[in-house]
Amino acid sequence: MNWDAKIIAFCCNWCSYAAADLAGISRLQYSGSIRIIRVLCSGMVHPQQVLHALDKGAAGVMLIGCHLGECHYLKGNEVALARAEVIVDTLEDLGYASERFELTWVSSAEPERLVKAFHHMIARLADLDRGSPVFTAGGAGRLINET
Amino acid sequence: MKPRLNFEWLHGCSGCEIALLNSGELLFSLFQLVDIVHFPLLMDHKYIADPGEEGDLSLPEADIGLVTGGVGLASHLKILTAMRRQCRVLIAVGTCAGHGGIPAMRNQWTAGQTMETVFSTATTDTAPVPDGVPALLDRVSSIDEQVRVDVCLPGCPPRPEMIIAVLEALIQREEQRLPHKSVCETCPTVRTGKGQATIHRGTVRAAYTPGEPLDRMRCLLEQGLLCMGPVTAGGCGGRDVPLCLRSRVSCRGCYGPVRKYGNQLLDMMNALASNGIDYRTIIDRTSLLRFSGAHGRLRPKGERK
Repeated sequence: MNWDAKIIAFCCNWCSYAAADLAGISRLQYSGSIRIIRVLCSGMVHPQQVLHALDKGAAGVMLIGCHLGECHYLKGNEVALARAEVIVDTLEDLGYASERFELTWVSSAEPERLVKAFHHMIARLADLDRGSPVFTAGGAGRLINET
Repeated sequence: MKPRLNFEWLHGCSGCEIALLNSGELLFSLFQLVDIVHFPLLMDHKYIADPGEEGDLSLPEADIGLVTGGVGLASHLKILTAMRRQCRVLIAVGTCAGHGGIPAMRNQWTAGQTMETVFSTATTDTAPVPDGVPALLDRVSSIDEQVRVDVCLPGCPPRPEMIIAVLEALIQREEQRLPHKSVCETCPTVRTGKGQATIHRGTVRAAYTPGEPLDRMRCLLEQGLLCMGPVTAGGCGGRDVPLCLRSRVSCRGCYGPVRKYGNQLLDMMNALASNGIDYRTIIDRTSLLRFSGAHGRLRPKGERK
């Protein structure tokens, strides 16, 4: 994937953001295309924000929250799950490939799982954009190997 | 000297103009406020914009320009650019000008498909597109996608009071006070917080006791009717009850999104899903963008990026 491509990752303050922190401390490698935005709960990410990111040129958007049943606010990730279904369906209606959006659950003790989710997303977007000018403009296939 | 006003009509239905002309005494306050120098619907002013015709597009200079309708033909674009050039302040009047409106529903198909559907139906399938039909632009756009717009006044049609108020504020150099809340803001129906988990088909009517006022009727969305109130800009009834609700009919979304770049489809789906309503029971989701298909919100099917 072109290094200019950006993937927005909305990370929950209580789990995946801490996991990203831990991934840094543990020196786990992932692509610089990932841009993490800390949110207080995955349930607060409005579908409009996902659409806005894509409209502004993000290659993909990830929403990463706590495992179901482990939400800091009890039910926030259930809201995120309900919204994610809407996002997937509506992105197709609006002319975006729904593969550009991904919802994952990562606890604060799972940095490997987080990094794996990043790799997986990048690989999926690279597949999707293969042949498009964004992809071929530079650095095609310069993926960091999966750990 | 009164400010001069240009009024132009592009890809719309003339409903905005008719609402203004039908507003009785308000129309006279418009005449008192401004000097109308160009208003093709009211005054005979020869100018040429259609391709094939010879001559120039000459619009008078004006302080204020009102434009209704979106942009769907090359001639619209030409007129709009001329308007922008000749007017110091340009106001988008109506939902078509601001969000694309009904004509922008054709953005779900390519221009070719639209022509084919319109002129080559089942009974006239061998008929070619007649001569003299102007070529369509590839999509219908709102006017602010094409030129800089100073004020955007939605409505289908906008309340004439609102048009006058916008002009007055402009002339007095006051801040514009446009409605910025949703239709629900002025809706008096009863909300209990617990409603239907599904959305009925459009054939179901609202349940109410005849004779009882509107503030005794249950919220239409809670009754399972697809009311677009939560995601639609308010103002249709002024500070009073929204217009469709007065007839106990759910909001169709004609004022466009609440925020300028909102998306009525996505916002509505989100509102339903976060309240535990099964949004998949809606038959034709894309039709929620029936009034706001411009700004690239509606795209031809199969075009996936």
